[in-house]
Amino acid sequence: MSLETAEASSWFSVACADEPELAKLRESIRDFLRADREQYQWRPSVDCWLSAWDEEFSGRLGAAGFLGLTIPEEYGGGGKGHLHRYVVTEELLAGGAPVAAHWIADRQVAPTLLAYGSPEQRDRLLPKIAAGRFYSAIGMSEHGAGSDLAAVQTKATKTDGGWVLNGTKVWTSGAHRAHQIVVLARTSAPDPERRHAGFSQFLVSREADGVTISPIEMMSGEHHFNEVILDDVFVPDADLLGEIGNGWHQVTAELSFERSGPERILTTFPLIAAAIRALATASDLDDATAADAGHVLAHLISLRQMSISVARALTAGESAENKAALVKELGTRFEQDSVELVEELLDDVPGWRTSHPELAAMLDQSRLHKPLFTLRGGTNEVLRGLVARGMGLR
Amino acid sequence: MSGPEAALAGGVFGAEAAVDDDLVELRQLVEDIGRRAAADRVGRSRRPQQFDGDLWRNLEETGLARLTSTVDMGAGLPELAVVLHGLARHAGAVPVAETDLLAAWLGGQAALSLPGDGPLTVAVADATLRDGRISGTAHEVPWARAAAAIMVLATTPDGVYAGTIGATDCEIADGQNLAGEPSDRVVFDLPVDRFRPVDADFSTELVRRGAWARCVQVVGALDAAAESTVAHCRERVQFGRSLSKFQSVQHSLAGMAGEIERGRAAVTLAVAAAADHGFASSQADYAVTVAKVVLGRVTASTTTVAHQLHGAIGVSIEHPLWLSTMRARSWIGEFGSTGHYARRLGRLALATENPFDCLTGQRAGEALTIG
Repeated sequence: MSLETAEASSWFSVACADEPELAKLRESIRDFLRADREQYQWRPSVDCWLSAWDEEFSGRLGAAGFLGLTIPEEYGGGGKGHLHRYVVTEELLAGGAPVAAHWIADRQVAPTLLAYGSPEQRDRLLPKIAAGRFYSAIGMSEHGAGSDLAAVQTKATKTDGGWVLNGTKVWTSGAHRAHQIVVLARTSAPDPERRHAGFSQFLVSREADGVTISPIEMMSGEHHFNEVILDDVFVPDADLLGEIGNGWHQVTAELSFERSGPERILTTFPLIAAAIRALATASDLDDATAADAGHVLAHLISLRQMSISVARALTAGESAENKAALVKELGTRFEQDSVELVEELLDDVPGWRTSHPELAAMLDQSRLHKPLFTLRGGTNEVLRGLVARGMGLR
Repeated sequence: MSGPEAALAGGVFGAEAAVDDDLVELRQLVEDIGRRAAADRVGRSRRPQQFDGDLWRNLEETGLARLTSTVDMGAGLPELAVVLHGLARHAGAVPVAETDLLAAWLGGQAALSLPGDGPLTVAVADATLRDGRISGTAHEVPWARAAAAIMVLATTPDGVYAGTIGATDCEIADGQNLAGEPSDRVVFDLPVDRFRPVDADFSTELVRRGAWARCVQVVGALDAAAESTVAHCRERVQFGRSLSKFQSVQHSLAGMAGEIERGRAAVTLAVAAAADHGFASSQADYAVTVAKVVLGRVTASTTTVAHQLHGAIGVSIEHPLWLSTMRARSWIGEFGSTGHYARRLGRLALATENPFDCLTGQRAGEALTIG
């Protein structure tokens, strides 16, 4: 049955992204995750979309048909709608599944290829992305270009049969393990009047000559981020992504989807769920703790409803830029706050750090990762500025 | 946008979404009526607030006063939400929710006689049945002094009774809520034959209906507070520029708008649940519970920001801000406290094997029977 038909029959299930077809899909991804976790013994983790890199898991997920859901079937994808992908993504994040390997390829690179890629690039890359066998990093930030992305200085210069790239990217997550890095570079000199003009995107193989990748170790000791030095790296014309000079538009066009997705709300959900389960086994739970748990849940539900409403608006071709920015701002702030809320909740379970070591590990991991939540993909300060502009204040 | 999503359309990002929905004409009608009432009231805001007879007549003439309880209006809950939200935005001093969603519903369920026009209200009381008389006291009855009739729902140790009473059948002691809206005490002592025994579940549904209506109204009041705050910050000049040019002010306003959108999203789910499944359903129970908890927090934070950014003028009785902020604060505390609903939702989560089911609506079907 189509989502259109469902809309007329049940507003409530539509609002919850729980129409029969989506509910069925949710059950099937849950079944997959349960069986996969039992067989391969991976542990749910917080912030799994940054940190839990498991190429075999990605391959199994692709083989089961849960990747590339919005990629057309001719490229090996699911040919489904954005809400289908939404439901699957929710379950993966809520279950803390190891999704980091394929994450960027599936979330950002595939839609960009579909919108701007050449037929040859699509044929070459999309089937591998849908299979969970091709991983990508995205080279955007630089030492002098964080929130102010238009300050990017990496340069691409035309040469015979391609381009020569020079520059340094930082905070490039997964670059040390990905097959390719999508690099944003200047293809013409900066114009102070038109700061966003003159950028282009390139598909750079991690193995290309002149690419040097070194770790930027996190305070947790983990290695996810990298510095990527591009020293006279040759990129053939076939690996130019989209149009010359259209790079800024290409990286910002799909931002509303990215800003409003479940990963802006559910990064710490495995921790919240584990804490609630631990509380449920504690006896004599007092009213105050129940109320605190209720507030956490209600907050999550309201953010999810906002997020789904943005997803539906975008799917229907409506503009939702302000609300999408708000989902990211409110959602990531909730993710941060949730870590402290969980610790307060657990105060009701004496000795929980000893009795629930896996929960203690998740809480510590959350603490070490949480400063990133409100930074990555555009800081909350930038987002509030965007929203203020949308309100006509600037 | 359609149905419930469109029912609460508006707010500072209202223009962003499509407006060609099927409720657009109704929304415009409510907007016109509400704005006219607000214009007539300018400079005359006093405590306690007076029942707005002109506004009420307008609503009766257009059929909006009893939209869902009048069968041939063919209107449902999304339509009623448009009316409640729109009137709340303009701080209309009329008991439409009480009349249409509570009193007329209860009257219909209990087969009580009701006046065909005029405002109605509902008095929920703990009562006793002795010597053939039911006597009791209902507290904080909205608009009792202005009502053409009061539907009493009296819970006695011998069962629940409903009856229609008038001003001459009871003693009404005037009171007011934070916004100066009448919130009266009703004391009655009447022969039992003035009542009918009713299903005890009526009182649960009545509270849920009331909570639902208040949530819809709170979104309207908060939308008005946000609009007023944005307008004030644009107009007010300090240090040589508009307040809205200060980045800290912009970020406060953006944060306020975000919280209100979060509230709107939760209440939209409650409108959908009630429209699809009715108020007696577990879906409505779940979604109204969520909405009450969400708006409890949202109301506190957004009304605080609204007053902060208005400066001292916002607490003056001449300025209309308090009409919306104090309505929101009063309303969100009615028909069950935030804490009450938070405890219920928390206990649901704690009893659910996979807490994520509490987010997807999948457990709404068995929701909250434990709480």
